[in-house]
Amino acid sequence: MLRQWSVQASGEPEPEPAGEELWEQEMERRCSSQEPVRLLPYAMVDKRFIRQLREPEGVKTSCWQQWRHRQQTAGRRLGEAARRLARGCGLWEGALYEIGGLFGTGIQSYFTFLRFLLLLNLLTLLLTTSFVLLPLTWLRPPDRGPALNFTLQCPGGHQPQTGVPKFNNLLWNVLTGRAFNNTYLFYGAYRAGPESSSVYSIRLAYLLSPLACLLLCFCGILRRMVKGLPQKMFLGQDYRSPLSAKVFSSWDFCIQGQEAATIKKHEISNEFKVELEEGRHLLMVQHQTRAQRACHLLTYLRVNILIGLLVVGAISAIFWATKYSQDNKEESLFLLLQYLPPGVIALVNFLGPLLFVFLVQLENYPPNTEVNLTLIWCVVLKLASLGMFSFSLGQTLLCFGRNKTSCESYGYNACDYQCWENSVGEELYKLSIFNFLLTVAFTFLVSLPRRLLVERFSGRFWAWLDREEFLLPKNVLDIVEGQTVTWMGLFYCPLLPLLNSIFVFLTFYIKKLVLILGLLLAAVPLGYVVSSLVLTVCVSQSQASARAIRGLRKQLVWQVQEKWHLVDDLSRLMSEPGSGDSLGPASPHSRGSRPRSFCPGFPCPGSPGPRASRPEPSLEDPNGLRGVRVPARSCRFPSGSEL
Amino acid sequence: MGGSGSRLSKELLVEYQDLTFLTKQEILLAHRWFCELLPQEHRSVEESLQARVSLEQILSLPELKRLIALHRAAVKIAMQSAWPSACNTANPFKERICRVFSTSPTRDSLSFEDFLDLLSVFSDTATPDIKSHYAFRIFDFDDDGTLNREDLSQLVNCLTGEGEDTRLSASEMKQLIDNILEESDIDRDGTINLSEFQHVISRSPDFASSFKIVL
Repeated sequence: MLRQWSVQASGEPEPEPAGEELWEQEMERRCSSQEPVRLLPYAMVDKRFIRQLREPEGVKTSCWQQWRHRQQTAGRRLGEAARRLARGCGLWEGALYEIGGLFGTGIQSYFTFLRFLLLLNLLTLLLTTSFVLLPLTWLRPPDRGPALNFTLQCPGGHQPQTGVPKFNNLLWNVLTGRAFNNTYLFYGAYRAGPESSSVYSIRLAYLLSPLACLLLCFCGILRRMVKGLPQKMFLGQDYRSPLSAKVFSSWDFCIQGQEAATIKKHEISNEFKVELEEGRHLLMVQHQTRAQRACHLLTYLRVNILIGLLVVGAISAIFWATKYSQDNKEESLFLLLQYLPPGVIALVNFLGPLLFVFLVQLENYPPNTEVNLTLIWCVVLKLASLGMFSFSLGQTLLCFGRNKTSCESYGYNACDYQCWENSVGEELYKLSIFNFLLTVAFTFLVSLPRRLLVERFSGRFWAWLDREEFLLPKNVLDIVEGQTVTWMGLFYCPLLPLLNSIFVFLTFYIKKLVLILGLLLAAVPLGYVVSSLVLTVCVSQSQASARAIRGLRKQLVWQVQEKWHLVDDLSRLMSEPGSGDSLGPASPHSRGSRPRSFCPGFPCPGSPGPRASRPEPSLEDPNGLRGVRVPARSCRFPSGSEL
Repeated sequence: MGGSGSRLSKELLVEYQDLTFLTKQEILLAHRWFCELLPQEHRSVEESLQARVSLEQILSLPELKRLIALHRAAVKIAMQSAWPSACNTANPFKERICRVFSTSPTRDSLSFEDFLDLLSVFSDTATPDIKSHYAFRIFDFDDDGTLNREDLSQLVNCLTGEGEDTRLSASEMKQLIDNILEESDIDRDGTINLSEFQHVISRSPDFASSFKIVL
């Protein structure tokens, strides 16, 4: 096991008796136990030796054992194949591995999430197609005439739109969705005959299939989220992952590139510094007086109210933009107005986080609080923008809270919109396209040139501009927003998942291209904190899964066992006078020619060794409490230029 | 990839599968990698099993391969020739890993079976127990069977790197090590032994996924 110990202590003339005894015990224990040889932490040559000791006549397996072994292997292979299938039939496996090795598992998880979303969208599409589209085409729907005969007198001499726009450009029509008005992309084309005439109720299928898809997506996402959560929940609200566990498991052995290793080291260093700062801050807080605590609370409220006001301002901007766009549908600046709502939403989502970061940093919060606050407000902003967009659409099309005569007879604004569901579908279609085009434009017009130019030229301006960073949180939130829009549009634009699948597919390759061309990645200072937060919410890359509960149980059992361990050690130490040093790691030299690979000490290497004098519990460094500030540069949420 | 002469025999494959966590394909791939380190004329099966390669050779190879691969394809990096990252120069624990798994008297060279052991411990299917056991040995820089303050300090320095802005100051290091010892040192002897280490690791769900190499 630890042959180096025997090698190191090569100066010893003769083996110590106590050590030998323990070695014998160890050997006996290993030989008599039933555990498979591969589980033993010894070198290959020693595992063979033990196997020989266990079965001196060679491995004689009966037919039954051989059959069982084959069954187990087959079962294991089947499990592997099923897991691969669930993960995406091995789609992009090579690319994911490459990315993980070069850029770390954080970035890799973003791409894994993209794959997950692609599968989700394709599954949704499959459901919709098989339960709605195929029966529809098979059962031969009635004629595609106008659905309603308008007998309404519209105010202002408006005639109901007949769908002939002023601008008849193909590109305009594709981008606004008018080209697809009578296709299966939008709700309007789904017609069904009288209910009693067919066995299969298309209407019910149309209603239920999006619901089923949403339920499926919900379950899928829940499953991914839940993987890492149980441990945290069971261990209490204030539970923080112990720092020691972080230290021991932080290095990612999958990293292969030098640059990725450097980035990882930066991440780890920042994480440690943040944790230490948090610890110091916690101590400081505990020593605060009441007045200080009240003051702290007030500043907290102040910041939140300010940001809340900003959010309210932003969503009212969205409301007005949507209303204006809907009210002026046939103006000359046709396309611009059509894309005004998505444009305003994008602008709001771009400026918002910048302002939030700036405001939050004015107060001197500990890093974790800063990140949490900023992240929560960003998510609120994104959801509120989509919510307000839907509400203002509803107001225009369905006359929420307005008194338009045209709404009374048909329940919706029939004068301006022949088919309001189509209009909603179109709006969401535009939003989806706009998000994707924005991503592409940003990549090719901003990220890449910036990267190339900063590399090519040197000078103060270029150094200040700095290389582009791959910001994990921002990218994840963008993807999630795109998916939310798709879900919102399931009823009105049933083939939107197809569109989204294509967008996700292209996004994968675009982002990968950008990375591989050497963009500097998220040495996001709080990268680990932020990404672990976002990932817990959206992605959850933890692979503890069902082992979490088993692990907890094991931990409890382990704790009890370990107490007995220590008691055992202690009693043995105390019962053998003058043997204080013999259990130490300075093991006896090998007996015989073959260097021993087994630990000559107690079965667990490094069990309580010679009783060294216990160091005094170190006093807290008083200077440390005065908040040695982590360099500001390293503790910021992605600010300014990166976003 | 040599001719048929450099393929492992079926009995050997079965034996290796029994003694490690690797699958047949992984063992064959490992053998192929290992043979590429040996000089051309010594690549037969018998010789490959007896040969040992030095640490320098193992470390020198991946960079060379990577450079050649990069040259061939400007953007596409040839993953097929990717050496396991445990022995990659990017890994700060490369020397410790090679030392821990080496069975030679001077502990500076790996035989093929040592290499298989290494891949087995780092594989996906290895149990957390065995991973934590070997992780403990890797982090034990002075090989005394316990993690004392110097070991921990060296570990943290490996993790954070040598850069000016990444390495921790003396007071931060002290605070960090105090925290670690406070959380993990149950018997309060100032060092962390294997059982305490395994106890701490069991509370970290990320350990198994970070302590692995995907072949």
